Formats: sequence, C-alpha cells, structure tokens
Amino acid sequence: MSAGTALHFEQHTPRPRCGCKGPGAAGWLSSQGYRVPAEPNSAELDPGGVLVARLATSEFLLEPISGSADRVEATRAELTQRRQPVTVYPVTRQDLVVTINGEELNPLLRQICSVDFAPLLAAAVTGGGPVVLTSMVGVGVVAWPRLIEGAVGESSPAVTLWCEPSYAHYFWHTLLEVGRDLGSVTTGSKQ
Amino acid sequence: MSRLPPIAGELIDRTRAVEFSFEGRRCTGFAGDSISSALAANGIRVLGRSFKYHRPRGLLSAANHDVNALVQVRAGGRSVPNVRADVVAVQPGWQIEAVNTRGGVSADRLAFINHLSPLLPVGFYYKAFHSRRLFPHWERMFRHLSGLGRVDLSAKREITPKRYDFCDVLVIGGGPSGLAAAIAAAGQGASVLLVDDNAALGGSGLYARSGDAERVHLTQALIERVRADSRIRVLTDTYAAGYYADHWVALVAPECLVKVRARRLVVAQGAWEQPAVFRNNDLPGVMLASAAQRLLYSRAVLTTRRLAVLTANTQGYSAALDALSHGADLAAVLDLRDAPGPRSRAAADELARRSVPLHYGVTPIEATSRSGGTLGGFQFRSARTVAAGTGDVRATKQLEIDGLWMSVGFAPANALLHQAGARMKYQQNLQQFVPAELPAGIYACGKINGVYGLRERIADGTDAGACAAGSLTAGSARPRAPAPMPDESPTHEYPIFPHPRAKEFVDFDEDLQIRDLINACQEGFDSSELLKRFSTVGMGPSQGKHSHMNALRILARVRREPLDELGMTTARPMFYPVPLSHLAGRGFTPERRTPLDAEHAALGAVFMPAGNWRRPEYYAAAGKSRAEAIAAEVEAVRTRVGLIDVGTLGKIEVHGPDAAEFLDRIYTARYANLKVGMTRYALMLDEAGVIIDDGVIGRLAPDSFYFTTTTGNSATLFREFGRLAAWWGLSVGLVNLTGHYAAINLAGPASREVLRAHTRLDLSESAFPYLALREAEVAGAPCRIMRVGFVGELGYEIHLPSEHAASLWRALLATGASAGIRPFGVEAQRMLRLEKGHLIVGQDTDGLTNALEIDAPWALKMDKPFFVGQRSLRILESQPRRQRLVGFTLPTGAPRAPKECHLVLDGADIAGRVTSVGYSPTLQRCIGLALVKPAVAAGQALRIRIDGGALIDAAIAKLPFYDAAGARQRESA
Repeated sequence: MSAGTALHFEQHTPRPRCGCKGPGAAGWLSSQGYRVPAEPNSAELDPGGVLVARLATSEFLLEPISGSADRVEATRAELTQRRQPVTVYPVTRQDLVVTINGEELNPLLRQICSVDFAPLLAAAVTGGGPVVLTSMVGVGVVAWPRLIEGAVGESSPAVTLWCEPSYAHYFWHTLLEVGRDLGSVTTGSKQ
Repeated sequence: MSRLPPIAGELIDRTRAVEFSFEGRRCTGFAGDSISSALAANGIRVLGRSFKYHRPRGLLSAANHDVNALVQVRAGGRSVPNVRADVVAVQPGWQIEAVNTRGGVSADRLAFINHLSPLLPVGFYYKAFHSRRLFPHWERMFRHLSGLGRVDLSAKREITPKRYDFCDVLVIGGGPSGLAAAIAAAGQGASVLLVDDNAALGGSGLYARSGDAERVHLTQALIERVRADSRIRVLTDTYAAGYYADHWVALVAPECLVKVRARRLVVAQGAWEQPAVFRNNDLPGVMLASAAQRLLYSRAVLTTRRLAVLTANTQGYSAALDALSHGADLAAVLDLRDAPGPRSRAAADELARRSVPLHYGVTPIEATSRSGGTLGGFQFRSARTVAAGTGDVRATKQLEIDGLWMSVGFAPANALLHQAGARMKYQQNLQQFVPAELPAGIYACGKINGVYGLRERIADGTDAGACAAGSLTAGSARPRAPAPMPDESPTHEYPIFPHPRAKEFVDFDEDLQIRDLINACQEGFDSSELLKRFSTVGMGPSQGKHSHMNALRILARVRREPLDELGMTTARPMFYPVPLSHLAGRGFTPERRTPLDAEHAALGAVFMPAGNWRRPEYYAAAGKSRAEAIAAEVEAVRTRVGLIDVGTLGKIEVHGPDAAEFLDRIYTARYANLKVGMTRYALMLDEAGVIIDDGVIGRLAPDSFYFTTTTGNSATLFREFGRLAAWWGLSVGLVNLTGHYAAINLAGPASREVLRAHTRLDLSESAFPYLALREAEVAGAPCRIMRVGFVGELGYEIHLPSEHAASLWRALLATGASAGIRPFGVEAQRMLRLEKGHLIVGQDTDGLTNALEIDAPWALKMDKPFFVGQRSLRILESQPRRQRLVGFTLPTGAPRAPKECHLVLDGADIAGRVTSVGYSPTLQRCIGLALVKPAVAAGQALRIRIDGGALIDAAIAKLPFYDAAGARQRESA
C-alpha cells in the first residue's frame, strides 16, 4: 500500500481453498494435522500458514494464508474424491476473497456493515481470532479481522472477506465505489 | 436594522459577509447565520404563507420545530424545496424563495382563501372526497393548490452514504442536562456519542440567560469538559429522527443518515416551547420567547423595536430581562397567572424597578396587524396591573407593538421515548407528561423529565449518565435519583383563548383553529387518535410539536376528562423532516452473475434480470430482430445443438443417513427408492398444497443427493431446508453450492457428439440413459452430468465448480461449431419448454395454485407416509377444482396474439388468465398455457380479451404441443 492511500483492496481469489462440514468434520481435520478452533465463529492460523475457520458448530473453511498451499490442495483432493469419512461432507468453495486495510478501514466498514468491527480490529492479532458471519452491502460474507504485516515490518489492522462468487462483480465494484468516497484507493491481487 | 453589536458566544463570523437573495431582494448576512436569522437581520419578517389559508407567516421557533420557515433554495443549478430556514446555514449566492405562494410571499394571489375559512370546515378533505362524482374535481383542485416547495424533476440523483455507528451511551440533546449526562457516562469509562440538532452545544443554557452570567459560565464549563474528554464524540447539526428496537437510533446528519446502535440511551432533548392560542397568534412578529432568545444570543439579532412578553412562567420573565438588557423597548409583561410564581418574583421585581408595566390575570383578545400583514398591536384584558397611571385595570387594553414573545409553557420532546415504548403520566404540578416507566437501557433527564432549573438539570443529567454507564458494568447498576419537585409550573394549564371571529391557531402546519377541533369532537372524533386523523392536527411536517398538547387540552375540556386519561398519540419515525436523499442513500441492490457472464457479453448477449441474477435474454445477431434471433436459437436446439447457462439454478447437496427421508418429506415424489446415478423430477408444496418450487434430484451415493431449485428460490429454500431439518431432527448436512457451481445445458440432436469430444464417459444410451446422473471429467473439469430434457431434446445438464466454467463453455462452442452450435438465452428456453408444455413455477402457477390443478398426478406420491402439503391435497382431492392449467393454440397466421396475464372470459365473467404465450418457430403458430376454471378447461376453446379489449378465440390443445411421446429427449425414436 503506497503512502497516502486511504484503502487498499487485495484479492486472494486464486488461492486454493476448501470446506467441509458434518458431525465428523472437526475430528477429521484434527486427524489431518490441522489446528481446529474450539469455538464456532473463530479461526486458527497454524504454523504452516493454513487458516482453519470454524464457521458453525460443524462447518469449516480452510485456506493457505501464508506458506505452501500443498496441504490444502491435498485436503481438497481428499474431499473431492470422497476419501473422507461419511460423516464429513465436502463443501466446494469458489469465493471471492478480499483483504482490505488502510486508514479508512473502519469508516468503510461502518458504511457497508452493521457490525461494529472497531473493537475487533483493536484486538486483532496476526493469526486466528474471531470470524464474523455477517452481511455487507447486502451480501452474506465471512469476515476475519486481523493484523497484517506491511512491507517494512509494521503491522496494520485489516479484514479479510469471503464472498459467494456469484456476487463477486457486484461486491468488488461496490466496495471500490464506497472506498473511493473515503479517499484514494489501490487494488492488487496475489496468492 | 436588527443586527446587534457583537454578543459573547454568538455563532456568526462577522468577518465573512454572505450575499444572497430572498424573493429577488438582495440581502447580506454573515457566515454562521441561519437563513432565518439572516432574513431577520435584513428586516424581513414574512417568510412564507400558511398551508391552507395562505396567511403570512414569520419566525416561530427559530429551531427545527415548525414549518413557518420552509423555503425553496436555488443554487449551483439545483433547486431544493422545503429547506428548513431556521437551522440551515445561509450560503453565498443562494436564491431563496418562499414556498406555497402564487406570485410571491408579499403578493400571494391565493391569500383570498383566508376569507373562505368558514367554507372549509374541519374534515373538509374527507367530506369533499365523499362524493364519488366530485372526486376528480376536488382531486384536481387540491393537487393544484396544495403542496409546499416545488420538486425539481430534472434533479440528478444524489448518492449519499449511509453510515453505522456504535457507542456505549448515546446522549441525545446537547443542552445542560445532556452535557452533564455525557460527562458522567464518560467518567465511568463509557464511550459516549453526544448529538444535538443545533449548530453548537449548550442549548437553552446559552440562550436563556436572563442577565445571569453564571448560567452561561456553567454551561460553557460543561461544553469545555465535553470537548476535552476523548471518550465523548460530538455530532452537531444532527437530529435523532427515530428509535428502533434494540437501541437503534436514526440520526440525520447534514450529509447522511447515521444508524447508531447504542448499548444505553440517554434522552435529553428538552422541551418545545408552546404557543398561546389566541386570535391572530400566527401574525409575523408573534413568536416563541425561546426563538427570540436563540436569535439574540446565537446570531445577535433583535427582531423587534417595541415588544411585549406574554408569559405564564419564569422563562418569560427571563426573556423580558434579556430583551431589556439589549436595548429593546419592552412595552409590558403580560402574565396569564394572577401573580408571579416563586421563581419569577425576583425578575418581576427587577422589571418593576425598571418601570416595565406588569399585567397579571391577562386574557388575550387578539393580535392585530398592520399593512403587510405583520403584527401591529395586541389587545388584552387583565385582572391586575403593576404600573402607575393605568386607569381601569379591567378595561380592554391595546398595546402598539411589533413583537410579541410568548412563553406560556412547554411540551416535552419525548417522541423517542414513546417510540421506545415508555409509559408516560401527566404531572399536574408541571402540567406536563413525564416518564412513568422507561424501557430497559433508556434514561431520560432534564426538561423531558420535568426538571427546568439549570442546576437541577445538570444534576439530573449527571445522575442519568452515571446510571446509564453504571448499568453496563455488572453489579454497578443503581436506580435513578427522583427528579426534584417543582415549586413553579413552567406550563400554563390552558393557554387557549377562543375568539368569536376565530383565527386562533392551534396547529400552524394545517391552519387548524380552536373551533375546528371542537367541531371534530362534536362530530364524534373525540379520542386523541381520531381527533388527529380527522382534523389532521399534528400530521403536518412539524408533527404536532407545537399543537399536540394544546389539542389534547381542548379535547380534555370538551370531554370533561383529565388529560392523563386521554393518552398521547405516538409520533412515529421519522419525527423530523428528512431529505429524501438521506433516506434513499446509497442503494445496495446485489446483482448475481454466473461465472460465464463475460462469455455471454463477448457473444453479444442482451441481458435481463431473473430474480437477482443477470442472465442473457438472447444473443443479438447481425441483421436479425430480437424475435428472429430468438427463433434462430430455438431452431438450433431443435435441429442441431445449443447450449445455455443454467448456473442460476439453486444447487444444493444433502448428505447423511437421513438424506432420502429428508427429501421424501420435502418433495412430493419418492426418493428413498431412487437409484444411485439416477435423477427424478422434484415438486415442492407448502402446507396448503400450493406449488412453491420444482427441480431435479440426483442421487450421488446412498446417503448423498444433489438437487436443483428454481433460480429465484434457492436462498429462501436453503434456509427453509435448514429449518425443517432441525425441526424434524434428521441427521443430514446441507451444502449450498448455488454460487460455487456453474451449470450448462447442452441440448439438441447433436449434443452427444459435441460432449463426447471432451469426456471419456460412455455416453451411449445404454450406459447413460435418460434421467441418469454421472460424475466424470469433461474438458478436464470435475463435472456432474444429468441427462434431463427440460427443452425436449437429447440434452446434458453439466454442473461443475465455477472456476472451470468458462473453459468448458468455450470448449463446447469450439467443438460444436461444425455442428452449428448456438448459445441460447432465457427467451428461447422459455419457448422450448412451452412447446413441451413444461410449466414454470411462479409464472404458470400463482400463490394459490395447488398440485392437483396442473394435471401432473405422476409427480404426487400420495401413498407416501408424509410430505409437506400432502394433508391439504387429501382434503382438496374431494373438492371441486378451482382452476386447471391448459394449453391453447391460435391458428397459423393469426393476426393478433394474447400476452401473458390477458384474461380468459366465460361470457362476461373472468374465467382465468394466460400464463405463458409465444410464437413457436417449430410449430409455426402461437401457443400458450392458461389457468382457467375447470368448466372452461373442459371445453374446446378459450375466449381471450387482448389489448384494446378485442376478443379472440384460441383452441384448447392437449399438452405437450411438441413430441408428445418424449421420444426426442429419450432418444427412443
């Protein structure tokens, strides 16, 4: 993010991701070596850089936030080929994924969502933490408030959003439109 | 000239002059002036004309409370109606005009209506519209005459943001009690949001001075503490317009609507000063004392040369002292009471010492006007006068004045409390409703609580703020301290003085006089709710802020009942006028697109909305009209091969040991016996047996199914499925793949050959028969393929993760090029399915169409133990059908065709309606479906009324119209 930028929107859509749900999902993910969050609406970022977000009692989202994507690719293959126990159901995830940061992050969130992210961002950490299932600009999203590392090592609050892909065009362009009202906006895309 | 020398605390910047015009007259104000104060400073007293009688009107409240000062503003190529002149800051170059005039505010051609008031009784609108014959006449006349500002129809849409905000304690009202509440709440660690509708904090603490500098210092000290406290955020020029559940409050800020969620709410909105009701109390020059004080101290404007104060409380004496201290010629203080109250005595003595005549036991008779329609004098009687040489104290007296300041009472600004569900009680020693019971988390303080003394208000606010913040911490909650008992009522019990010649206005918005309300009561509208609706009292833009209490007092007197028993009506949100641009805000209308959207655009798709999806209606073809392009798409599917994006279908998986049982309960067919690798049509009903959705269910594994829903219903049904699964306690897991999966229907005689080029799957009839489901790679993508025949040809519906959709689409088009493949849109698909007689739920059915009326008994397994709607169908089976879905055709070459929703007639009676219709390129004639009465369906023909009222006959036809045996989709021919 360049100096003077009010908001930066980074797309991570191409990253591999997968989901699973079912009564056996938590146990199966643990058996696969993932660090499974104990509570719904929370996430764990394991040492290998894979985010495991618990979206409900028995529903999970996996995505490699940093490091290698191999483990998630392998898990996705297991699910696609139905090699998991019958109590674990695969969930195909083709989401638009966007991380937003910048000085106007909270003002942006206050225009697009009725959830108060300020305390969540104030308490955000670089790994894990709460995930919020909410609606933004009329679209259901999974939101993960967190700290991200900048280019020179400083960390700043950010929120990563997962949005159903059929809303991707509307969601992305609406976020940019609102963001531009708040100041200069930059965009990017990376794995 | 009305502008005074600089006054400490004034809000204007005298170094920045503001040039503007009013009704063509050039005016000068200062930055920080409201429109009203700038006009007053320029000696302009008539700001507008009243709504009904077109009487001249001037300043009344100088606050956001009344509609006398609504103006039209032209600036920057825009013309904005109904700008609130009392609170909107004037800007350079503005061209301002009065609203609701014909020919200008000083020469309004409709002023003659004032003389017609005897012909315009209360309830006139209702009475006028009672006559059906005269309705159009009255409607035209009212539409011509009524209205305030003029809407600029050429105005461009403004995109205003909407914003959410959050706080621990929201304090509404920045007067002394609100300031104190905010400080106390913040002192306990709460995050506080303090909002006030004025340009600056302080409220009456800054403008009701009565020459007491200490009052101002106390208030300013509070403001400084608020400014210095980082836990308190302040929003000025912002008003709370509505309360909603769970402490959501709508704040109207200058630029946008802010929806605040507060954990606790402190309402410190004060009280609206109320007018006395006497003949001609609306003349420009008659104003509320608080309005005069606001103008005096915030904008250094004294609106009058010689004035009197009509009062019944200490606030009136305070205003009189303020007027004197700024050099006004105070003709008299007229007290409605027989003697000053204990809090007024010192001020009364001071006024007497300064030789101001004081009259007690005053009965107003009328205000009189001078040329131009502004105040010129005031007639009254009094019981006692404190002044030398007054003669007969009981004689009618006449004051020559150009200003009359009224301070006879207050009404609490408790609308938000009402909206929140507070219970009020009428307190006799205050002549005011005060909170008797507040909802949890809501606190009131200050004047709204019946506390009027400055120091008492600060103490009350401190207690409210501390209680509100304390209740956020477990174990710290405590009850509110009781409000102090007043030693002098701030409000007169009945400041209403009828006159034989009327024109004593109770409601300035609607020009309602005392007799209007009495007559409404006598006509039977004698409850507060009925009186409001019949007379329209309180229904104007100011929402009864100055009329509600006086109307209640009149009603109480007519009914001879105490006010407490009448109750109050609830002023619903929005309680203040709100710009439509604020309410509209930035529109969030989600639109869904399939992963093939860019492919469609590149192929020249003409898009249409389908639910909240964007879909290709058809693909434009060079040299072809819309109809020709659609016909060509139909022809391609019937003779060669076509492909359509059906990714908008709901796509859901259900897993688990009870998955089949779950589907058997949801849908009318049987799925427990569905073989793995096969599909079956699915029809869904509601509890009444009404058709609500359909689709196809395929079995992936013994305990896993994949199924589709209609485009518009997927989100709603997925939620309903989850609810039903939980309710029934079934062991199932539901996965919504609607947006994550794409779907392409490849259909036509050549479809197999096109598909074969991209998969190793055995597509032969024996290996992949009609209605089979297979999972296989197609063009390298993992796909689910269903052999279904919605369009009535050999076809494959291919479902796959959306990331692979575009490459498969392109691959199929490339391979199919030699076979004459063509993409087809929604319109071609509709015709193809219509030729097959397949219904579309929601188009060929309505909200009452039950499953017995569509002639599809094969889809209903009534012998199942249960499915939703089954019980109702059993009852309906024994009853005559209400309607039936039938097919119809028109002769080849018929010159006129019906449209969807055209009526089917049986004699002169309506017998049904056309649900689908179109020209079939395959059959070379117009075909359609209609829902009609069974008796009509049993006949040979339908009589349809088309555009223009013409009647045409259509032949009832057996369904389907095309390939009755289904040989083409089964490929059994």
